[in-house]
Amino acid sequence: MMKKKSDILWPLGFGAVFLIIWQLYGFHRLLDLKPFQLPVPSEIIMTIFKNLEKVSGDCLLTVTGAIAGMAIGSAIGFAVAVTATLFPKWGYGGLTVISAFNAIPIVALSPIMNRWFSTGMGQKIGVVTVVTMAAMAINAYRGLNDLKPFSLDLMSSYAADKRTVFFRLRLPSCLPSVFTALKINITSAMIAAIVSEYFAASTSGLGFGIKDSLRKAEMAMGWSYITVSAIVGIILYLIIQAVERRAIKWHASQK
Amino acid sequence: MNNTPEITIKNVSMVYNDKGRDVTALSNVSLEIQKGEFISLLGPSGCGKTTLLRIIADLLQPTSGTVEVCGKSPREVRLEKKYGIVFQSPVLYDWRTVRKNICLPLELMKIDKAEQNNRVDALLEMIGLEKFQNHYPNQLSGGMQQRVGIARALAIQPEILLMDEPFSALDEFTREKLNEDLLRIWRKTNKTVIFVTHSIAESVFLSDRVCVLSPHPGRLSAVVDIDLPRPRTKEMRESPEFFNLVTKIRNSFEGV
Repeated sequence: MMKKKSDILWPLGFGAVFLIIWQLYGFHRLLDLKPFQLPVPSEIIMTIFKNLEKVSGDCLLTVTGAIAGMAIGSAIGFAVAVTATLFPKWGYGGLTVISAFNAIPIVALSPIMNRWFSTGMGQKIGVVTVVTMAAMAINAYRGLNDLKPFSLDLMSSYAADKRTVFFRLRLPSCLPSVFTALKINITSAMIAAIVSEYFAASTSGLGFGIKDSLRKAEMAMGWSYITVSAIVGIILYLIIQAVERRAIKWHASQK
Repeated sequence: MNNTPEITIKNVSMVYNDKGRDVTALSNVSLEIQKGEFISLLGPSGCGKTTLLRIIADLLQPTSGTVEVCGKSPREVRLEKKYGIVFQSPVLYDWRTVRKNICLPLELMKIDKAEQNNRVDALLEMIGLEKFQNHYPNQLSGGMQQRVGIARALAIQPEILLMDEPFSALDEFTREKLNEDLLRIWRKTNKTVIFVTHSIAESVFLSDRVCVLSPHPGRLSAVVDIDLPRPRTKEMRESPEFFNLVTKIRNSFEGV
């Protein structure tokens, strides 16, 4: 995949200008903020390096929870999609139930999971699992069932059985939708893990770090956690995108 | 020509139920097709030509009437994998390369690897896409994709090739080129071909006989013998005989 240079340079340039204005207190003047209310980029970077061990420890904890929860949630969602495809009569109900789960707000879910699991990690994984199930179930179901016209006819002209249709046709053709779901889920998994830490009994993780630092008015520390969360979120997304590019290089979206 | 027909269609009717209203897609169609014949089913939209093809292919069950292929039911023939079908769109599997797409039916039939490779090599050469065998469908033009679709239909070495408006989505230039390719392939393999189209010129150029279907309800209104010599050439499209046949068929639509 080759991008034009200007496609990369423009956003990069825009980002650099944004950071420079921030560093030169441009936003402070604009919004009438004191330096302690909004730390400048250089101060945030320095704070990250000064507290590298603590920040990276918290980061690892949150990412572990997010990824574990996402793996479980996506697996459940996919299983529901497969069930709904193979047994349309009653399997479709499972899809509806899972979509309903999606409507529960994280702020309600976190305290509930707090009561269910004794550890912070258990609570985190629980919240992320519930949050990521629906996107996978709905997308995978669509991928398994929105087949190209005549592709089922083709299979029946070969007298193919249900099993062959599933493994040779439905499964490969749902891959692009599965990756769409994974890309949605990795972002919501990080958000869900961080927000769940706000309500957790434990005193670790990026979410707790943000809440605790801001509460104690350690603004630079708070911003360090925010920055690390953002960077980790982007890196995880890029990793999934890279895997996607390798796995479905045949798909039109990967040209 | 052999006198026992390969395909016998007897009084076939097809009635759909559309929101409580009966719609007759095909009314009392009877037709006999000889082995090795190239037959076109020609008609405007809604004349039931695709319905008839799908009934022969056992993708649809007729409301009444029977179809016999070599003395068997379409279902038996389908299960014996004697039909090669080319659809309106190429229906290639995007995650398979050109080579793997042609190979798909052979894998499903568990034919041995060496034989698979031999057949696919021969077909790739026949459709002239050897250089593209490791490309994915998304990297090919529409005409190339449809050629792969034809090769895949031929891979199982079917007795009968069923083609449902295979070139209707292509531009005129590509279509005429593929018409010639198809005749060349047909001459080599000598299959029975049933070809659905809504282009009069295309049906005349390709066929031994053109079956004209009329809509509302779909019925067989004329069968026209095409006595142009074979092999057919590009130049024949310009000949007066060609125009006469086109005119004759066009006139058979009048009064519809």
